[in-house]
Amino acid sequence: MDLTLNEDQEAFAESIDDALARKYTAEFRGKAAASDVGWDEKLFSTLAEIGASALTIDEEHDGLDAGAGEVYAALYALGQNAAIEPFLDGVYLPSWLLSASGSAPDEVLSALAAGEAIAAVAHSEPGRVWDAAPATTATGDGSKVTLSGTKTAVAHADQAKWLLVTASGDAGFGVYLVNGDAEGITRTDGRTADWTRVSRVTFEGTPATLLGSAGDQGRRAFDAAVARARIAVLAEAVGLMDRASKVTVDYLKSRKQFGVTLSTFQALVHRAADLYAEVELARSVALWATASLERDAQTDDTDVDATADDAFVYIAQAARVVAEEVVQLHGGIGMTFETPISHYAARLTSIEQSYGGVAAARRRVLKSGSPLTAPTVVRS
Amino acid sequence: MDLEYTPEEQRFRDELRTVFYEKVPAEIRERVVRGQISREDIVASQRILHEHGLAVPHWPTQWGGKKWTATQQNIYASELQRAAVPTPLAFNVSMVGPIIAEFGSQEQKEKFLPATANLDIWWSQGFSEPEAGSDLAGLKTTAIRDGDEYVINGQKTWTTLGQYGDWMFLLARTNPGAERKQQGISFILVDMKTPGIERRPIKLIDGSVEVNEFFFDDVRVPVSNLVGEENKGWTYAKFLLGNERNGIAQVGTSQRVFAELVDAAKETDVEEGTLADDPDFRSRLHTAKMRLLALEATQLRVAGASADGKPDPASSLLKLEGTRLLQSLTALRLDAGGTDSVLVGDTEGTDGTPVGLSSEHAASTAALQYLNMRKLSIFGGSNEIQRGVIAKAVLGL
Repeated sequence: MDLTLNEDQEAFAESIDDALARKYTAEFRGKAAASDVGWDEKLFSTLAEIGASALTIDEEHDGLDAGAGEVYAALYALGQNAAIEPFLDGVYLPSWLLSASGSAPDEVLSALAAGEAIAAVAHSEPGRVWDAAPATTATGDGSKVTLSGTKTAVAHADQAKWLLVTASGDAGFGVYLVNGDAEGITRTDGRTADWTRVSRVTFEGTPATLLGSAGDQGRRAFDAAVARARIAVLAEAVGLMDRASKVTVDYLKSRKQFGVTLSTFQALVHRAADLYAEVELARSVALWATASLERDAQTDDTDVDATADDAFVYIAQAARVVAEEVVQLHGGIGMTFETPISHYAARLTSIEQSYGGVAAARRRVLKSGSPLTAPTVVRS
Repeated sequence: MDLEYTPEEQRFRDELRTVFYEKVPAEIRERVVRGQISREDIVASQRILHEHGLAVPHWPTQWGGKKWTATQQNIYASELQRAAVPTPLAFNVSMVGPIIAEFGSQEQKEKFLPATANLDIWWSQGFSEPEAGSDLAGLKTTAIRDGDEYVINGQKTWTTLGQYGDWMFLLARTNPGAERKQQGISFILVDMKTPGIERRPIKLIDGSVEVNEFFFDDVRVPVSNLVGEENKGWTYAKFLLGNERNGIAQVGTSQRVFAELVDAAKETDVEEGTLADDPDFRSRLHTAKMRLLALEATQLRVAGASADGKPDPASSLLKLEGTRLLQSLTALRLDAGGTDSVLVGDTEGTDGTPVGLSSEHAASTAALQYLNMRKLSIFGGSNEIQRGVIAKAVLGL
């Protein structure tokens, strides 16, 4: 029974934190987000060199074939710095989808592993909940499939070399591989509230290749890959919460009002203690979900989706409390773009709504048997 | 990371379960579930545990301790709570026992430890006073030396189950002139049959008598009842507080209450189906379930990291969330029962015979238990005190 990262994983997290910590001021993040690509290319390469891009890809494609613990370590460290380099949405989630299909071109996985390119997952559609069948259609079969429809909030579509697009075809749900510069693609680029680059992408007769198989099996594979991402993003959330609450505690120690530091006011001190409890409990849930994934990888259990929803619902709640509290405890300065706290709060807010959002996760949970099953961490 | 116990740990758990479920009578465990446990139940159950070497596992081995790992201690506490076995009397096994074993004289050890472990002596705690609750060091009771005796004068309060107490361990000022209020305090053992002690029961919010006040009027106890050195009592009390960590998160209890809650929801009809189908109630159950999971995982995560002898800041986190959660579970139970929840079980009919107004219904006494559980965030260091400990010891505020 052990719910802690091992030494190698800890060291990996520290090496990423080291690479980011000195640089990642609010100003740096703002500039990176406003650059042509939407993040800092040099830092992305540095992190790729220490293995961040290769984690989830198998050794055949020059990846590290690492487990959920390593992904946790990477995203936790990225979260601690509110880093916007696109490892989860640009590399990990695409790689899980590609690997699950068993039919991904070798060069795509190898390029992702090397950090030479990223891919984007296009699933959300305007006015449609995440769990609904896509309105985007796939027409034709064999090598001549074309896609038509509109996707929204596609993270990093502007820089992606490939798009992984969900669509409904004759055989049902499928994930399709599309070249970023394929014909029939129209893009409108924008950003999310946390300054992540996203696009609305319209496809009109865009040539595409089915990954794996279409139908229920394809949907299950997609949901399982997204469930992994839902768990992975929780590590980022815990990293954000951890650093944001530490920064807030430091602020309480240094900021003076009425001639004394804020730390002399018990009301504020007790809120800081509750903040600490919130973060530590959330950390435990994220580690539990990660350990469940590791275990499932060994035993072929298929309750990844349920674990992801359970954990996501819990941590989204914690993320909201922490985001609101760290801004409140900073007072007016917490509202400004120039303080890192505002970036942490904005990112936490986006995470709550990622992959369909917390309300949808809660709906799935309530339909399942989860609320009535006795909770226990230890399995036997 | 892994989520499984080792084969040894699983074997250990199975052995515990055999004792908890097969040796401790089911009637006693049922009364624990209903919150109707008696003095006799606590004594009987602790003696059974002691017989199997399970009453004082964290004591030194020569006095019945087991040298368990932190994980084993966790398994023990959780399984005990989950099985609804009465927890061995904390005043005996977690408080005075370890203090005597660590700081007592050889004579005191031999006289008290076996009897304490077997609950032949029922101990009461005499710490709190009307002016010294969370600010325990402000206590005013004095023990002034007169030859071979201390003469004790003062008042103790919140003495839990003091009506059953054979002996009391108390903190008293042996040097009222000491510079700091933490100094000049001693740890003294008092036979409750000594003349000059008067008890006043305190009726609580749920109508029960669980705590008492004691008045000491020229109570003379032999100096040989002093534990350790005179005026060092505060040090021993702090040692004791560091000892209270075991099972403090109440994970096993909350797991049991959660399962009972689900059963009750399944048996309560609503317009369509049962309460267990109701989306709002399901949502609240799920929130409680995940908080419980977070708590258990946190306990498992920090179990190995704590150092002995010092109050561990992690235990403050576990106390804070553990009590909040158990309280919210009793609140859910209250809401599940609706109006039935506020009925009180044993009352008198017009002919004077006891009638259980709600005794056939699962919600019986839910309100009383809910009200009684308000204490969790107050005693053992109020949750505000725990926040203070976290702020100071962890956050450096």
